[in-house]
Amino acid sequence: MNGVTPLLEGRGVTKRFGGLEAVKAVDFKVMPNEIVGLIGPNGSGKTTLFDCLSRVQPIDEGSVHFQGVDITRSKPHQVAHMGMSRTFQVIRVYRKLTLLENMKVSRQWRGENLWSQMSPSHRDVEERSRDLIKFLRLEHLTNEPAGTLSGGQRRLLELGMALMPDPELILLDEAASGINPTLVEEIKDRIKTLNQEQGKAFLVVEHDMHFISDLCNRVYVLNYGEKLAEGTPAEVMENEAVIEAYFGT
Amino acid sequence: MTAPPSRRPAKRRLGLLAALLAVLAALPLVMNVFPDQTWVTNSRLFSFTQMFMLITLTSNWNLTGGFTGYVDFGHAVFFGIGAYGTGIFMNEAWPFWPSMLAGAILAAIFALIIGYPTLRLKGPYFSIAMLGMFVAMREIVRVAKPLTGGGVGLTLPPYLNRPLFYYLTLILAVLVVGIMWWIRRSEFGATLIAIREDEVGAEMRGINTTVNKIAAFVLAGFLTGIVGGMWAYQNTFIDPDGVFFPSRTVELVMMAMLGGLGTVAGPVVGAATIYWMRDVVWANLAEWHLFAEGMLMILIVLYAPQGIMGKLGDRSGTSLLRVWRNPLRRSAPEEVPEDEVSV
Repeated sequence: MNGVTPLLEGRGVTKRFGGLEAVKAVDFKVMPNEIVGLIGPNGSGKTTLFDCLSRVQPIDEGSVHFQGVDITRSKPHQVAHMGMSRTFQVIRVYRKLTLLENMKVSRQWRGENLWSQMSPSHRDVEERSRDLIKFLRLEHLTNEPAGTLSGGQRRLLELGMALMPDPELILLDEAASGINPTLVEEIKDRIKTLNQEQGKAFLVVEHDMHFISDLCNRVYVLNYGEKLAEGTPAEVMENEAVIEAYFGT
Repeated sequence: MTAPPSRRPAKRRLGLLAALLAVLAALPLVMNVFPDQTWVTNSRLFSFTQMFMLITLTSNWNLTGGFTGYVDFGHAVFFGIGAYGTGIFMNEAWPFWPSMLAGAILAAIFALIIGYPTLRLKGPYFSIAMLGMFVAMREIVRVAKPLTGGGVGLTLPPYLNRPLFYYLTLILAVLVVGIMWWIRRSEFGATLIAIREDEVGAEMRGINTTVNKIAAFVLAGFLTGIVGGMWAYQNTFIDPDGVFFPSRTVELVMMAMLGGLGTVAGPVVGAATIYWMRDVVWANLAEWHLFAEGMLMILIVLYAPQGIMGKLGDRSGTSLLRVWRNPLRRSAPEEVPEDEVSV
């Protein structure tokens, strides 16, 4: 990895909520074409770190770089325009918009101006939206408001919304939770395909260790906001400190 | 953006709309062809003119209040700026049309200037800030005597032509509703609704929420400024209390709510219903009509927060309560009920 600019890099990222230090000076890297896992017990700071890296939360110390550019002070929409997309632990879809509208509104806004947004339809966006909806097996719900979907269906829709802009890096926050196992396997295959054929990078927060070990090249482990371990999934799962953090033995 | 599927065939709806517009367009002609009839009178045309203005104003308010979810309690400030801009320029011997356009542009510029700081506020904080802006502007107009005539007001060159104003306001209402229809079906419209539904999520997905909110705000301010200019010319006299009428915005909120917030047809239905009720029914209730209005407002919030169009199934609508909860909704992810999380 020497000499290659990391796609996403956090240097000494620290986030405090009042007296609580939720993330403590974490160094973090996602290289191009890599799938990185982020695991840790509940409350270990995974989602907070995710929020810091994707600029939902401002950080108190350290810096965040995307494709070599310092994005520590960038706005979330600017980071999205640069090619970073994400899903959320608590599902965020636009309940009053239809599935198709949800997908379309999540497309890449690079180079768009307000005037072009006045157009009711862009054929390429429509096609991509429908393709992704079909992949997610939600085509029978295409024109239904997202508010009428079940939790699992919303989770799938959110994944589609993250894929819609064709980003360089996709941050998945428990994207497989609440989805039936068959579809989870398909999602894993899709992620692998996107990674191997298109060079897309992923940063994945997930509790399902099978999901992590099947997908990820490297894994970071957080505990109490600190980086506890880093390595391949096999190395991490054999790490005594990690076992102790998870099982307390 | 694709519109939500309609329950009625589009052609039939278009036909009904065309027939309604044809009837409305023919009304002033009835006065000329049948001078002895008593139904279509100058007074009735004036009533319709007021109703068309209210439809336009409510639609404009709905762009920020309904589509974008920013409940603006000071929207009438743009009406006032449009009215005073028109009045001031006409007193400088400008013709009506350029004066009205200049007044509307002033309203749009004002929206641009105040939109940047105020649209960063969420929910009730934005509403109160706009209310304060409205009151402040009224006082500025009152003290800027050399320009605005102060509390005494301004007189515009009189031009009494009820049919002309009837047609002008009808055309404007049709145009504005058409613009709202187009916006709702465009990516811009879907973007505004996305901001209303989840502003943080929209920002995370690459939407420059500030630019989109300001664009909607400026457009609404401009269109409301036009209505203000027309109203001033029709009225031939403007003063701070008449133009910056405190309950004007409340009326717009009520009409949008009754019709259905965030829908295209809602403001039309709401404004027409309340105006008709006020004109025909509440005229018989004398001083009780305000009580009746208040009761109606309470009943809407309690039993039909989605409004008439929301009840009829236009799924793009929303309720005022949802919009009002913005600070919580926007600062934290929307919670999914536990029973919905499983597949």
